[in-house]
Amino acid sequence: SGGADGLAQWVLLELQGEVEPRQSGGLAGSVLGDLHYTRQGIPVLIVGHHILYGKVVQLEKPFAVLVKEGAGESQPAGPHARYAVTALIKTKLLFKTRPKPIITNVPKKV
Amino acid sequence: AMRSRAEVDATLQTAKLNPAELLPTVHCLSFGPQAGAGECCLLQLEPGLCAELEAGRSLVIRGEKDEQAVLCSKDKTYDMKIADTSNMLLFIPGCKTPEQLNDNQASCNIIHSQIAGFSNNYWELRRCRPKLKKLRKLLMEDPYEGPDSQKDQTLTFSKYTTEDLLSLIQASEEEILHQLQVIDACKVEGYWRILEFDYEMKLLNHVTQLIESESWSLSKVPLCTCLEELGSLEPTEMIEHILLSYGRKYIDDGEVYFEMHEDKICRAIAQMLLQNAVKFNLSEFQEVWQQSVPEGMTARLDQLKGLALVDKSSRPETIFLLKVDNLPEDNQDRFNSLFSIREKWTEEDITPYIQDLCAEKQTVGALLTKYARSSTQNGVRVYNSRRPIS
Repeated sequence: SGGADGLAQWVLLELQGEVEPRQSGGLAGSVLGDLHYTRQGIPVLIVGHHILYGKVVQLEKPFAVLVKEGAGESQPAGPHARYAVTALIKTKLLFKTRPKPIITNVPKKV
Repeated sequence: AMRSRAEVDATLQTAKLNPAELLPTVHCLSFGPQAGAGECCLLQLEPGLCAELEAGRSLVIRGEKDEQAVLCSKDKTYDMKIADTSNMLLFIPGCKTPEQLNDNQASCNIIHSQIAGFSNNYWELRRCRPKLKKLRKLLMEDPYEGPDSQKDQTLTFSKYTTEDLLSLIQASEEEILHQLQVIDACKVEGYWRILEFDYEMKLLNHVTQLIESESWSLSKVPLCTCLEELGSLEPTEMIEHILLSYGRKYIDDGEVYFEMHEDKICRAIAQMLLQNAVKFNLSEFQEVWQQSVPEGMTARLDQLKGLALVDKSSRPETIFLLKVDNLPEDNQDRFNSLFSIREKWTEEDITPYIQDLCAEKQTVGALLTKYARSSTQNGVRVYNSRRPIS
């Protein structure tokens, strides 16, 4: 169900391929990268040694983000579990172009 | 430790990007603590559903273990299907778009955004017919035979409240409530019931006999008098229910009247006659039927669409009971069933038995094109099965 106070609006980031942690120990807490926008509104994502250029897309069919209720308790799997609508997504940042690798010489010390 | 502005600027320099060409605000994206847990999933919304959610209304996923899940809004039902994408979809709370950043010049220049989750698939929705056949099936488990019934009243396990039906039927609330009205269900002691056919005919008969003895017009049957005269024979709620089922309620000069549905009454009486044998001689049936309907009503074969079928190929012509309600709900199963009853159908004969399968904006013709093969017999177009029926 939706909340009466208004649902949060999230954004979708669509990337090619898979996301894998650089270090072992899983994804949680690890950095993905920096997201910039050009003055023309083009999203630019720096992930590891790659630069990705994308575009902002208004979704024709928005998404609802569903979260399983009672997470942690034993629940029936699949669609028969109970879900709550946490947020709506009306915009996505689509990165379709092949990532451009960043050629570095010597990493600049901060 | 969270990234600092200095680290961000260093990265920009290494990447040879010119900060002057960028908006001042950067989002530092990292994975939130629950990101990998898979507790979130995406549901693609059909038109109208987004607005419903924003208005605070609920969507419900319904389905037992052996059923394909459907999603229900207040008044519509959708099939759910997983769509895979070769891309990775990450969902990010609090991430701003360029427009939002431009609107807010005073915003700070680092936003630390935590990715809440990611997926390479999402639920897709497709509007479907509500799965309502189960509704009649549940209510037929224990049809109501009236207060004098000999049945054991302590067996209540087969009775359903509105809440029960909402959790068991794969349809929206509005679709369910509408269907309850269509099948003339009524509430008895808080439970939805369908009347057992003989009891229903008994009630109808009380009313039609009273109409005749009072010489009322069929379009002006007074509720009050019916309740007075028949209240000693049957519960008043049942008398009112039968009037509502077989008539149109209206108010004239402050009094409640019913305009009786000639077609529906004749149809019910036909069912009563036809259910007693496998088939009938058509002309004999028509004679008995006309004699059985109330005075002033005309029994016509077109009143029996979806209830009975005439066999024009037999000599003499015959008629037999075939209720669309008793046929399968699934499209292919329905056609298989119809073609096993009769090999070739005219469009006129088959239409009442497939009309309910039409999706929104789908025609009977489209269904026939998909599920049947047509040919011409004696100058008439007929339809038969696409595949051999055993």
